[in-house]
Amino acid sequence: MGAEAPRPRVAALALAVGLVLADSSIVVLALPEIYRELDTSVAGVSWVLVSFNLVMALAAVPAAHLARRVGPGRSAAVGLAVFAGAGLACGIADQLSTLLAARCVQALGGALAVTAVLELLPATVGSERRAAAIWATAGATGAALGPAVGGLLTELVSWQSIFLIQVPIALVAAVPIFAVARQEAATGVLSTELRQTGRPHLLANLALALVSAAIAGALFLLVLLLIEGWRLTPIGAAIVVSVMPLAALLGSRLDGLVRSARARAAAGAILVSGGLGGLALLPKAEVALTLPPQVMIGIGLALVLSALTETALSGRAPQAIHGGWTISARHAGVVIGILAVTPIFTHDIAEQRHDAIDAGTAVILDSRVPPLLKLDLAQKIESRLDQEKGKVPTIGPAFEPLPDDPEERDEVVQLRDELQEQLNRGATHAFSPSFGLAALIGLLSLIPIGLARRIEL
Amino acid sequence: MNDGRRSQLLVGGAIIAAVALVGIYLVAGGASYTPAKTQDPCKHRTWRDPEGLQQIAEQFTLSALDGAACQLGVSRETLARALATPEARERFTERYDISDDKLARAVRAGLLRAVDDAEEAGALNPLLAAPLRETLRSIPLDQAIELINNAESLLDDVQGFLGPAQSFLEQFLP
Repeated sequence: MGAEAPRPRVAALALAVGLVLADSSIVVLALPEIYRELDTSVAGVSWVLVSFNLVMALAAVPAAHLARRVGPGRSAAVGLAVFAGAGLACGIADQLSTLLAARCVQALGGALAVTAVLELLPATVGSERRAAAIWATAGATGAALGPAVGGLLTELVSWQSIFLIQVPIALVAAVPIFAVARQEAATGVLSTELRQTGRPHLLANLALALVSAAIAGALFLLVLLLIEGWRLTPIGAAIVVSVMPLAALLGSRLDGLVRSARARAAAGAILVSGGLGGLALLPKAEVALTLPPQVMIGIGLALVLSALTETALSGRAPQAIHGGWTISARHAGVVIGILAVTPIFTHDIAEQRHDAIDAGTAVILDSRVPPLLKLDLAQKIESRLDQEKGKVPTIGPAFEPLPDDPEERDEVVQLRDELQEQLNRGATHAFSPSFGLAALIGLLSLIPIGLARRIEL
Repeated sequence: MNDGRRSQLLVGGAIIAAVALVGIYLVAGGASYTPAKTQDPCKHRTWRDPEGLQQIAEQFTLSALDGAACQLGVSRETLARALATPEARERFTERYDISDDKLARAVRAGLLRAVDDAEEAGALNPLLAAPLRETLRSIPLDQAIELINNAESLLDDVQGFLGPAQSFLEQFLP
């Protein structure tokens, strides 16, 4: 069957994996929009990501067992149908609680689909190794493209469209799988060979969890820094963070050059941590300065995720169960990463914002602009702070209209720029400890990677 | 080149790239940021070229803000924004757990310090400073808050806080 593998079915299976795994990151760029529209907190909105990843982490292995019991075709078909239905519910949710509940159901469907697909792929492509490669590549591609696609949809349509567009895509991916499900129902026999499960590769999965925590923290923080800290539009932020998946494509080319999975995993973890270290030490609030760290993280994540997934699946059967463990480890890592960094940066950003606003007000009060104007500006700044409710404000409107007198206008423009600079640097600095923590978590993954050199589980 | 050598190169290259990026960002000032500090409002600030009634009134307001902020243990900048609107004032008193009485007392103390500073800067004749202090000591609490709160009336019309002393002020301006 391998050489004559039906391309539409392989494409559909890869699409299903890519779609589900994109969902763990696709909403990242929509979070600020959801945050505003559903009138919640940063911690609250982070659960839109956390809930999905948490359920995926918990459900992946049981879902893999279920797929082997009831048949992977049926399991994948049901999983995709549930995923699509829950996606529709996410798209029409008008409350955070409804959205979170729908996200949990979506993750359940996703876990069923993605693990069942790993069981279907070997029979479709004729080789477990090739199946694992297609599965890992589809998942990595989906996860890497997710944020950029989500950002584009949020800007061009709405955050709801991110979920609604998944419905037809999931159904298209499910069509060829329904045929397998019907075949399973007709024969009543599982098409997959039942083999000894074997223990999961603990060290590879632990390293996967740690690296995923670091990467999730990086993505979540970078998006919030760009949109909430530096006030880029979602589409602008999408363009900026698309550097990471592009770099990941470059990194995947390095895969073939070095055979040692441990070397690739170690190099990848070092690059991810180095990139995060760079983001923790941004010298200025400039988008261009995020690019070298992003390139490093992108190359690193391509190296480390594929190497660790390969190690976790290598020589282990059945693939679905071990694939389930890698899914579980990765998504648990995402949850840990987001939960670890959120409280730190929400606290820091509030503090930095206050200091920066005070420093900016001092600049205004001590300036040479006419007294009435400076007190008026201080009042308008207070109004802007009130309007933007705890976020890093765009301070420009507080300075409108600019004075007619050219000299006064120059003074005011200078004041405005100084204050905005204070705010931008304050916001950037507020993210530093969280990026630093994510870098540290990435470095910690070197411990299981290093141990795996001596201990083969 | 064998695979072992390629592995070493890959890991070594990753270490060099990571250290280089972190090092370059450190050298460029990545760890040096500290927000510009606001000055301690309890420290005396020399008045800046008080020329004309408007400039004096401005320095007077800033001194009063310093004095009140010092009493309340907050920065002058925080207090300036807090007194901008009634809503801002409410948020401020809630956040710092300050009663209206305490706020008003602090504002009155700030106004008295402003008179001292004005006198010291030579912007206010001592003959006028004494009755002005008396006026401010007996000024109703709400009016004392209003005096700083409503900067426009302070700057446009010194009558708002000097009352009958306005003519003296203009007469005694250096």
